[in-house]
Amino acid sequence: MIWMARVLAGPVLWAVLFSAVYALHGAGCHLGWSDRPLGFTDLHHAAMWTVWIGGLLLHAGLVVWMPAGQGRARWIIVAGTWIGLVSSAFTLFPVIVTSTCF
Amino acid sequence: MTDATQQGPGRDAGAGVLPDGTAIEAADIAASPPQRALVLHRQLDKVWRDLPGWRGFFTSVNHGTIGLRFMATSFVFFAIGGVLAMMIRAQLATRDGAFLDVELYNQIFTMHGSIMMFLFAIPLLEGLALWLLPKILGARDMAFPRLSALGYFCYLFGGTVIVLSLLFGVAPDGGWFMYTPLTSRTYSPGINADIWLLGVTFVEISAMAAAVEITVTILRCRAAHMPLTKMPLMAWYLLGTSVMMLLGFPPLILGSILLEVERAFGWPFFDVARGGSPLLWQHLFWLFGHPEVYIIFLPAAGALSTIIPILSRTTILGYGAIVAAVIGLVFLSFGLWVHHMFTVGIPHMALAFFSAASALVAVPTAIQIFAWIGTMYEGRVTLRLPMLYVMGFFATFVMGGLTGVMLAMVPFNWQAHDTHFVVAHLHYVLVGGFVFPMLAAVSYWMPLISGRWRVAGLGEAAFWLILIGFHGTFFLMHLTGLLGMPRRVATYPGDPEWEWLNLISSIFGMVQAAGFALFAFDIVMQWLFGRRSWRNPWKAPTLDWAMPLPAPSYNFASLPGPRQPDADAILPLARGEGLLPGAPRGWRETLVVEPGSGRPQHVMVLATNTALPVATSAAIGSFFAMMLAGLYWLAPLGILATLIMAWRWGEIMGTTTDHPPAEVAPGLSLPLHWQVRNTLAHTGAVALLVADATLYASLLFGVGFLTVVAPGWPAPETGFGPWMLPLALAALAAMAVSTVIAHLAEARRDSAALRVWTLAGLGAAGLGLALLAPLALGLDDPTRHARDALRGAVVGFAVAHGVIAVMLALRAHVDAVRGRIGGDRRGALPVWQLFQKFWLATSIVSVALICAQEVLA
Ligand SMILES: [Cu+2]
Repeated sequence: MIWMARVLAGPVLWAVLFSAVYALHGAGCHLGWSDRPLGFTDLHHAAMWTVWIGGLLLHAGLVVWMPAGQGRARWIIVAGTWIGLVSSAFTLFPVIVTSTCF
Repeated sequence: MTDATQQGPGRDAGAGVLPDGTAIEAADIAASPPQRALVLHRQLDKVWRDLPGWRGFFTSVNHGTIGLRFMATSFVFFAIGGVLAMMIRAQLATRDGAFLDVELYNQIFTMHGSIMMFLFAIPLLEGLALWLLPKILGARDMAFPRLSALGYFCYLFGGTVIVLSLLFGVAPDGGWFMYTPLTSRTYSPGINADIWLLGVTFVEISAMAAAVEITVTILRCRAAHMPLTKMPLMAWYLLGTSVMMLLGFPPLILGSILLEVERAFGWPFFDVARGGSPLLWQHLFWLFGHPEVYIIFLPAAGALSTIIPILSRTTILGYGAIVAAVIGLVFLSFGLWVHHMFTVGIPHMALAFFSAASALVAVPTAIQIFAWIGTMYEGRVTLRLPMLYVMGFFATFVMGGLTGVMLAMVPFNWQAHDTHFVVAHLHYVLVGGFVFPMLAAVSYWMPLISGRWRVAGLGEAAFWLILIGFHGTFFLMHLTGLLGMPRRVATYPGDPEWEWLNLISSIFGMVQAAGFALFAFDIVMQWLFGRRSWRNPWKAPTLDWAMPLPAPSYNFASLPGPRQPDADAILPLARGEGLLPGAPRGWRETLVVEPGSGRPQHVMVLATNTALPVATSAAIGSFFAMMLAGLYWLAPLGILATLIMAWRWGEIMGTTTDHPPAEVAPGLSLPLHWQVRNTLAHTGAVALLVADATLYASLLFGVGFLTVVAPGWPAPETGFGPWMLPLALAALAAMAVSTVIAHLAEARRDSAALRVWTLAGLGAAGLGLALLAPLALGLDDPTRHARDALRGAVVGFAVAHGVIAVMLALRAHVDAVRGRIGGDRRGALPVWQLFQKFWLATSIVSVALICAQEVLA
């Protein structure tokens, strides 16, 4: 089952990150974070960027360090880590391009 | 062997180990001496066959019987759903169709959708999985035969109630997605909505049973030394499906429970006036509803990945890529449910997350389609009947995909929203992506089911009628949709320009219906009059064809091992040269392996014919029936009956003596399942808890969601008084103590003190449950506000799990008293430990949540 855990690590991290950012989005709107300036942006954006970029770094770590085994077993693990990285990058990139609460 | 793929999976300590401590390698498994095949057959048949006559119907637990029954029943419901569809077409054929009144029309389209989704599609894939999996994996049965039978009877009873409601004119009429507030008490005062909520939930029990069963079977009941990376693609697809069912159905089940509680007892989860939100229903429904599309599509795609290479006389292109695509699909399809709710007023950023996920999910689908096309290009396609249906799939599904892209464009979506264009798209995707592949699958596996070859010509005629009829019906609906015809209207007197399109559409609908009828006729003719099929008629390499036709009740006279990995092993397996030949102990036995590598671990003794499943589903059904009748004060009796039945499931398991290991192959003996810890039951309990945890997470999502969307909740009246926190902490302490005791009991299972420990554990668990009662009574009236209703639901979750934990503790104690624990035997202890931990963990979260609400209020 260690093999299966390695395969699923990337997609699971995507699921966690997606849920976390979506929850943060809802909670931030509820608590009015988008009205609180923070540096060149607002608290809401800053919080979501931090979580997203932190997650992408973890994903990159999985891509680099997770693969193990040989042949097909290794190939599927590599694919799993990339699925996670690409999914997190693509489904959550809206945090940088759109407004938050309307 | 230096096969690289064997090195990845499976390094779990202690897995598949010989008595001297070395791991069991493929080379350790010698061939058993050949025996007379007929003698082996008689011996096995005596142990595995169903009882004769009507007793067999109520007592069979064999996966072959139950799987076929599931499939046959699902086709009966398909026929009923089809008749309803014809009634819809008859009504719409003319502009002021007088065939049905509006009320009946609403019931009929709601029932058509609900039947096709819940009583046809899901049960058909469950039935196919139950029937097929042990055959392609090299096992004798599914992991939990009685659970298969329980699932079947829950499906049969629930489905029958739903269909009967139509005859009595009280069928659900709120659309198959049952949106609130249309389905709340105010707007649906009758029992129509209750039929849907209770009936579908009753049927969903079979989906959860199947999901647990399929997951455990694929992970642990494979042929010896069949690693995950080499199992047939169909098994990967069904593993993906079952995991999605474990994660996808709990939100729907939770939503149905909450809505039924709101309707029956007035707890306001969805009532805006009291802090609820109808959007919570939409979220819970589509959290299930979107993954559901892929739950249906994955087994169909698995059938395509099986049939295409065989009928193209080649091997599938890109095994690893397809596995990765399945894994990607399983995950991504949970991140796009909100695309069904784009118009309800969700902030842009959230919409953007879900649009991006919706776009991304096309990638794994495309990978599979390219793999199939590439496979056909590499091989030599033979246009036999299953391949015709594969072609029908391509023609239909690709068009559904294209209209899907159109609908994904927001400006177009606003135009086409809720018109017949969407109806056409939906049918192209579902019929193309599920019905055509499933018809391919049925005609492909039919010789293994009936042992006969079909009557030439009939099947082809049926195929062309279905294909032409389908496209004639639904292609025109794109046009009526573009002309603006909305969904769900019974008449359109002011719009004569829609009439001729609808009329032609209805005529082709009848052609399609004739095609399906001919398909059914073809199956019956094959069964009755087909000539005997020769072995492996498609020259397939998979293990399902390494058995006699029709498939015997035990599948394999001896189980495939590293020497018998494919269909060529048919004769050696029949002569008993594989593993576990015959039934020398008179039990139903199958091999259990380590999940990753497939190293053999132990021998599972499976349940034999019993009426317990039908009795249990009747007990569960009595609860649903009393809820439906509005006899809420009698409903606890149904729960009690269910608990008594559940107790009896444990009663006929377990053993009071240590059995000698069973000889699996010459020189290789493995323990029986009673004497090992990591049993199928243990894996099954883990799978069940995954689903349970998803249900709990959905409940937490509901709390979070309502907190966010309904700001300014009133402060609690009495709230969580100062005396309640110590009480809650005491309850948690009692749960923690019983969890620890459950572990101590296992550590001391050989000592005389064992019974004292199990008794103490039972007491502690009972105390924990008892302390929850005043906690529940001290909360505010749950009908007052959504917050109080959610608190009631959270505490109710803890109480329900407390009852299970206490029952398992009692089971463990009785096991200890009767000597079922001791030596290597652990009885119910490991499963009790699991539930204790789950109960404790979720209760800690619940108490923390309620305390946090108090602090933040
Ligand atoms: Cu969807």
